[in-house]
Amino acid sequence: MKPLTYLFVALCLCACETVQPWERGTLAKPEMQWQTDPREISFQAQINASKEATSGGMGAAGGGCGCN
Amino acid sequence: MAARPGDKHSALLALTSSALLLPAYQAARADAPPQFMEMGVRYSKYKEDDTQGKKTFGGSSERYDIDAAQFHLLAPVADNWSVAVDVQWEDMSGASPWFVGESLDGSPKVIMSGASIADTRTEVSVTTRYYYDRGNVGLNYVHSDEDDYKSDAVAVDGAFNSADGMTTYSGAFSYSSDDIEPTQGSVPTNTLKADKDISSAWIGVSRIVSRNAIVRFGLSYTYRDGFLTDPYKFRDQRPDERKEWAISTGYRQFFMGPNGALQADYRYFDDDWGVASHTLNLAWHQNFGFSTQVIPFLRYYSQDKADFFANIADLDQRYFADDYRLSAFGAISGGLRVRHEIGNWAITAVGERYETDESWGVYSGEESPALVDYWRYSFGLDYIFR
Repeated sequence: MKPLTYLFVALCLCACETVQPWERGTLAKPEMQWQTDPREISFQAQINASKEATSGGMGAAGGGCGCN
Repeated sequence: MAARPGDKHSALLALTSSALLLPAYQAARADAPPQFMEMGVRYSKYKEDDTQGKKTFGGSSERYDIDAAQFHLLAPVADNWSVAVDVQWEDMSGASPWFVGESLDGSPKVIMSGASIADTRTEVSVTTRYYYDRGNVGLNYVHSDEDDYKSDAVAVDGAFNSADGMTTYSGAFSYSSDDIEPTQGSVPTNTLKADKDISSAWIGVSRIVSRNAIVRFGLSYTYRDGFLTDPYKFRDQRPDERKEWAISTGYRQFFMGPNGALQADYRYFDDDWGVASHTLNLAWHQNFGFSTQVIPFLRYYSQDKADFFANIADLDQRYFADDYRLSAFGAISGGLRVRHEIGNWAITAVGERYETDESWGVYSGEESPALVDYWRYSFGLDYIFR
């Protein structure tokens, strides 16, 4: 966990550049979103959750399924 | 936002007006209701490799094969609301590992469920979202129905932007009530009827790093309570509660030269069953002009085994399981996603290969003979009513 803590602190410290609202055009591009393709991510996450012992971390867990 | 008279940058301001109120995360789309109705359909094929003969009793066996169809509708409602409806149908068939036994030479071999299991699943999700000046709030209901499993879940989520729009705070909470009624006939089941509840909370913060980069951190907690044993596994007895933690981070960086973006996401997971995992997702989003995107992606996953996992389950223990999903292993997957727009239409195609091996993980443990590899393909068509 320690390296992650250091990474978090480092990124917080470096995030100091003020970006004015009119400079945020690139950040609005689809490829800069956290979920570029929600249906693709949803289906992939469902498969991974049914084949691995861990899941979640990108939002609340939601409902289950009997996927084996 | 109108440009001020006399401002020499007025033309630029006018051109970029759509980006003026962008917050630090999901950008304009999350904080403004959709302008137009959107509709999409997608077909996906998921196919697991057969189990290898040398790892099974009874020779090679065909594993799961799933066909899935998804439908999506998103519509603006009034000035500040949207409604989304998502429906997913799945048709699955094949055999799954039943239990692991010891062969004459002492090596573990898997016994498959034998007769092919067939099931269908229908999931309906309805989301309504309210958008306000500095964020949005959503309410979601999901119902999932299978022959042997039913789930009803509700979730609320929200996002709030700092005054300067550089930072966004997000949160979500969900609750699910699930009923399990195993199908009788293919293999003996270890329960006739059971239920479980899942409660989960997530908080996240994202921040603009530069005009081309953004970073996010998240923390989630999930509590599962009830029947967590796999009803179709012969040697499976798990605790009736599970507490899970996950921390995650994400980074997006746009590169002007190649006209592409790097997408990186990492998650660390830990729980009170002894399972821990690292997950790293990388993708390169390459634009070709304004209408074509090619996105190669790579995923690395490594998990530790559960405290009560063993290939030859020890039935004298209070809890035991020989389920390969609770073993220590590593997985590498990669693929390609291509998207092309033609007018108001968009076509999407995805292909992915997923492979596992005990030696690929950062954690060591007994290799399960039932680890799974698979192929996945998707084809989608979307239309925006503008």
